[in-house]
Amino acid sequence: MLYIIAYLLFAAGPLLALIPGRRIPALLAWLLMSSACVLAGIQGVMAIAAGQSLPLITLSLPIIGPFTFVQTPLGGLLILITSSVFAVAIPFVTRDANLYTSGRRGLFLAIAMLTLAGMIGFFLAGSIVAFIFCWELAALAIWGLITFETRQSKPVAAGLLTLALSELGSLAGLVSLLLLASAAGTPQLSGIAHAVPEMSPKLLLVAGLLAFFGFGMKAGIIPLNVWLPAAHGTAPRSTSPILSGATLNLGLYAFLRIDAPIALHQPHLGLIILSSGALTALIGIIYALVEKDMKRLLAQSSVENMGIATAGIGAGLTFAAYGHPLLGGASMVAGLYHMINHSTFKTLLFLGAGGIDASTGTHNLDELGGLMKRLPALGSFFLVGAFAIAALPPFNGFVSEWLLLESLLRVVEIPDIPVRITFALSGALLALTSGLALTCFIMLPGSALMGLPRSPQAANAKKAPLSVVLPMGLLALLALLLGLAATLVIPVLSRLAATLLGTNPTASLVPDFFHIPSQVPMAVRHALDPIGASLGAAFLPLRSLVVMHLDQTPAPVVYAMSTLLTFVVLVLMLGSVWILVRVIRQRRVTRNTLWDAGLTRLRPEMTYTATTFAAPVRVVFQGFFHPLIEENEKRHGAFVLTRSYHQVITNISERLVIRPGIRMALYIASRLARMHKGHVNTYASYILVAMVVVLIIVAGAGTR
Amino acid sequence: MSIPKTLQEWLQSIPNLQMQKRSEQWLQLLCSAEQLPALTRHLMEEEEAEFATLLVEESADALSVHYLFYLPATGNLIELKVEAPAGTELPAISDTVHAADWHEREAWDLYGLRFSGHPFLGDFVLHDDDWPEGLDPMRRSFDGKHRPDLHGSGADWAPPRLLQEEGAMVFPVGPVWGDFNESGLWLLETPGEQIRYLHTRLFYKYRGVEKIAEGRTVDQGLLLAERFAGAAAFAHAWAYCQALEQIAACQIPTRAQQLRIVFAELERIRHHAANIAEIAGSTALSVAKALAQGIVEDLLRLSARLCGHRYFFGVLTPGGLREDLDEGKIKLLRQTLPELDQRMQQLEKHLEGSSSFLDRIEEMGTLSNELARIYGVVGPIARASGRSIDLRRHLPYGQYVFLSPDVPVEQEGDGYARLRIFFAESRISVKIILDLLPFMAEGPVQSPCPIQEGHALSWVEAPSGATFHWLRCTGDGTITRLRLGTPGFRNWHAFERAIEGAAFQDFPIILATWGLSIAENDR
Amino acid sequence: MSFWPYYGLQRGITTTAWPDGAEDSAGITPGRPCALQTGHAEEIAAACPTQALKAVSQAGRDGVAVDFSHCIHCQRCRHGDNALPWSTDFSWGAPSAAARPALESRFTRSLQVLYVDAGACGACVNEVRLIDAPPYNLHRLGIFVTATPRDADVLLVAGPITDAMRTAISKAYAAMPEPKRVMGMGTCAIHGGVFGESFACAGGLEKIVPVDLWLPGCPPPPLAIIHGLLSLVGRVTPAALEEQP
Ligand code: SF4
Ligand code: SF4
Repeated sequence: MLYIIAYLLFAAGPLLALIPGRRIPALLAWLLMSSACVLAGIQGVMAIAAGQSLPLITLSLPIIGPFTFVQTPLGGLLILITSSVFAVAIPFVTRDANLYTSGRRGLFLAIAMLTLAGMIGFFLAGSIVAFIFCWELAALAIWGLITFETRQSKPVAAGLLTLALSELGSLAGLVSLLLLASAAGTPQLSGIAHAVPEMSPKLLLVAGLLAFFGFGMKAGIIPLNVWLPAAHGTAPRSTSPILSGATLNLGLYAFLRIDAPIALHQPHLGLIILSSGALTALIGIIYALVEKDMKRLLAQSSVENMGIATAGIGAGLTFAAYGHPLLGGASMVAGLYHMINHSTFKTLLFLGAGGIDASTGTHNLDELGGLMKRLPALGSFFLVGAFAIAALPPFNGFVSEWLLLESLLRVVEIPDIPVRITFALSGALLALTSGLALTCFIMLPGSALMGLPRSPQAANAKKAPLSVVLPMGLLALLALLLGLAATLVIPVLSRLAATLLGTNPTASLVPDFFHIPSQVPMAVRHALDPIGASLGAAFLPLRSLVVMHLDQTPAPVVYAMSTLLTFVVLVLMLGSVWILVRVIRQRRVTRNTLWDAGLTRLRPEMTYTATTFAAPVRVVFQGFFHPLIEENEKRHGAFVLTRSYHQVITNISERLVIRPGIRMALYIASRLARMHKGHVNTYASYILVAMVVVLIIVAGAGTR
Repeated sequence: MSIPKTLQEWLQSIPNLQMQKRSEQWLQLLCSAEQLPALTRHLMEEEEAEFATLLVEESADALSVHYLFYLPATGNLIELKVEAPAGTELPAISDTVHAADWHEREAWDLYGLRFSGHPFLGDFVLHDDDWPEGLDPMRRSFDGKHRPDLHGSGADWAPPRLLQEEGAMVFPVGPVWGDFNESGLWLLETPGEQIRYLHTRLFYKYRGVEKIAEGRTVDQGLLLAERFAGAAAFAHAWAYCQALEQIAACQIPTRAQQLRIVFAELERIRHHAANIAEIAGSTALSVAKALAQGIVEDLLRLSARLCGHRYFFGVLTPGGLREDLDEGKIKLLRQTLPELDQRMQQLEKHLEGSSSFLDRIEEMGTLSNELARIYGVVGPIARASGRSIDLRRHLPYGQYVFLSPDVPVEQEGDGYARLRIFFAESRISVKIILDLLPFMAEGPVQSPCPIQEGHALSWVEAPSGATFHWLRCTGDGTITRLRLGTPGFRNWHAFERAIEGAAFQDFPIILATWGLSIAENDR
Repeated sequence: MSFWPYYGLQRGITTTAWPDGAEDSAGITPGRPCALQTGHAEEIAAACPTQALKAVSQAGRDGVAVDFSHCIHCQRCRHGDNALPWSTDFSWGAPSAAARPALESRFTRSLQVLYVDAGACGACVNEVRLIDAPPYNLHRLGIFVTATPRDADVLLVAGPITDAMRTAISKAYAAMPEPKRVMGMGTCAIHGGVFGESFACAGGLEKIVPVDLWLPGCPPPPLAIIHGLLSLVGRVTPAALEEQP
């Protein structure tokens, strides 16, 4: 029911925005749309709390098949994330929508809402038809968002690229779904999941891979991730938080939904997902490091984070397939946790980037600098986002990345050597990724906020809009809470993982205070366990110490963590040092201007830019980037007048996959051109034939 | 040492060119501004002349500009003299004689003499942020006693940039930097990590020596010549004294001549040893640095024992030396020097056996032979880049006429080549001294050097290369023009080209392997 | 394989015993003229190119007083008939008129020095470089060199204070934390030395920042520099800038 109200509100918001004027319609639209988001979010919470799937509606359509919507806990989580992201992003969206004429403003908001609607529908989809329909709906809406500012030509190209690749991905996903549906004989996703054990492993692998790479494309998984920075970098700035914080999860959810049941019976699939994820993460962060456009940098880092989440999911599926559901659950939790985290800090950072753009008019890092002084609130929140994404405790990024790395180490439980090697390599890639991410997210706030303003725009930055700063504050708080209260979040995610893998990893968690020697009789230990547990609970509020055991074996600790306790200890330590210093030494602080080595003035052009900061990475990965270098020199006699260097770095996926692909496509097209007669009715008949074929296949899948 | 026939004939074929023989060795050509470029090009390209220095003198209504060249093959001096009436421009010769680049910039800053076609005039000796435009301190009308209460552009000054690359920055080193470094500013243009271009901004230590010398007595001038570049005090004082002695046509006693060589070569060894210490220090090779510093300190003590001052201040006087060396001191020198030489050679052996050290200076800060020629670098820097030029051989002065010392040459032009040159030259210097000592002439070390009106050009191969002094004084011993054409000024000019492509962390090492004195450049 | 430590040890200990023991190795200092009671005072004083020598008459006795702040070691008064006696000490650091008291005890074993070159000729630079060489080994005395004024307790300036360095010096001084001391090294830093005051030189460090200690000499040898630094923390007795007959 709430969904229907939410949907109505989605529609109403943009309509209100059509009212001419600035403030009031924007305010009304914002109110309506945020309440819609809140409603959807509540629904998501309820779905998580329900803990099991509940069918919502089924529409049976002729030929195409049943249109089923089911509420699942995992879907609920994604609905919660998505609507939260929208809720915090909507103020900025409505603010920026005011830059357009009122007609376009309505359209803009409508597309934004359509995106949300499509996504929620997708997370509820229960049959392949609904699945594909909502997927396409969301994809179209996203394309609409990206290309909304059509005045520049780049967004169109980026939008078309997104659309084209998205369609390619959807096609692969569709084929996979059709294969599975026809093998299972039902168009319902749950039915397919039930039928998986009977299918041939080959079919499962093919279908699983198609779904993974097809749908994963939307999350920026290799090999086709080049569209992502291009698209997100050029989308209107207010939509970037949505695009990155919310829509990327579509891809994750899609392949998770399809592949989770398959991977339990096809261990290779999990391994491929894991290694692709790790590779994606590394490639993403390497490219992020050489970007100097803030939006593109953040988009590249989204690729990285999606890779990490994917790796977590892949590891989880592999563990489960090899008979370690507990470890599997833990990895899966790490993956899902990272997805949540990414949505938090990436929305935060994109809002920050948008806010910086709004107050300076640029998002080129080389033109920024010194903003911390002018935008202290935005700057601090941005810094929190950077800390979180760089996986620094006590913020949330640390929790998920640490959980993931710890889980990967547990591969020692699996005797298979190739599996171990895959895990070890993926772990190494992820560790390298974390290191580079740290560098990257020192560079980002460093070059944007610190140092001296490198352009007049940055020197005269306007006040940051409240519609950005307040949501950022909220998200910064959330990033901290998600880091501190990890032990509250993990059990919830465990339950979700349980619906996928069948085991709840934290169900057997006990705060381990007393290590009971194994000589002690079983009965005594059983009696002591709960005492220990309740004592632990009494001493440690919020169950802040997580100690995971493997159930059967004599309790080897999987891992123990408590970000909250660490935080408390840290605060106590720093606090006592501070007090000691205060009490013991009378400190007098004198403030002085910057020491500039005696120059008349330290000039902005003498401070590090993002480019110069990342230079070592560029040098180390030179072979990987394969940059095209153009060098030029103007001389007069022996005088060097100017010297120019131009480096073009082409994304590896474009270099190795897309360009050859395009060449091949052109080649095929030139061959196919022979079929072209130039008559309109010939083309019409082609289309008709194609449609009939597709419909027959779908119908066949639906009825069987 | 007469002027080559072909050159004479070529010169005679030029209309309106006044030729004047100043001496057997020295040919003066009075030419017009229009003739200047062709003449200089011919000298450089056909005669393989070396650029010595450029100097401006002010007369009532014009600036006369002297372009001084020498022919290393025949030992001739060629002087091109051009009159630039007030307000006129001269054609820049720095596109053909690139070594004149900084000289032209200097003349623009100090005399307001504009050179048409020079792309980078201004912000050179006088920094734009400190000194007002259009005030030319070397002009007669300018009172050099006090600083005028005028200011430059201050904080508006922006560093020069010629690199066009997205996201590149200008990385400043200096003016106050490192532990015990001379002040100077180096602006490294870089996209990070690699240095694409270097702007050397010196003259933070500009003391206006040439200006403040004017109006002082020739005796006080000697104090200035000794002290503007204390690390090569003896060489510059010698050049200064030679100029005075030339004007007075005074004959120097042989013993004084010989002792001058002894001191000059001692100074050269000390200078090179100090450079070696800096090179070792820049690569964090502290033991080698300590060993080299030990040699430096012992040489300084030896100097103080020989002549009372660690840096040879107050040793020279026009006409000879202030004090003789008695037998005891000569003996001391004979005993100490071989031991120091041995320590030096040992250090060289150890350094050459340190591959990690060699890795850091090999192919570092390379100045190609071609660039060395174009920039006309001098001294050890030139010899490390394959240019065998040494005034002691090619324009010999004093007793060097009979000595013709060996000139070591290396081809690579990198840091290691320079290190080897420093060692080789010190070895040769030790040999010169030890070979000379048994043949010391007897007699006085000073002959009278009366003050006379006149002017003279003199030169000395200072430890860091050729230095040319031009002195003009009145009959009562007042200096009216002192030009110090120092090797530092020549070599710093080329330094910017040795940095290209190097990484940040190599900058101090390259700087050390060049071993250039800023005091000598800034004057 | 690196044998550098061995090569280093081979040289044995070369470090001076000063200030705990005596140091009188030949050549360690150029020495400087001493005041003298003489009848030729006027003559001697006139021969000094920098007016460092003054003919004075006190209580009916004539003599030559030496003003070290002007002496540039030109050796004109060292030889000849009217030669002055020359001392061979190096304890030359002398408090300025506006000197602040010596730094407290916590600096005696940890003193950070920032060296700023304000137009010094190579001689002063070379001598200052030698203070951390083995023969003198500054570090054994708890004195260290820093490259940033933020850590510095002592600002050590050499040279006649060229125009372009004035900003740098005052900025460096301002950036130093309290308590801080300033030491002007070399005759140049005191009055400009041979360069004097001119359009290009301020000719005296005092015109830019307050100075606590003058170190005359042209150049002051390494031990004199160390003497100056030690007197800033009160570890040795400072000398005077002038000597009366
Ligand atoms: S040594 Fe000093 S006191 Fe003696 S004459 Fe020279 S400047 Fe004057
Ligand atoms: S005091 Fe003497 S040695 Fe020191 S910088 Fe001045 S002239 Fe050079």
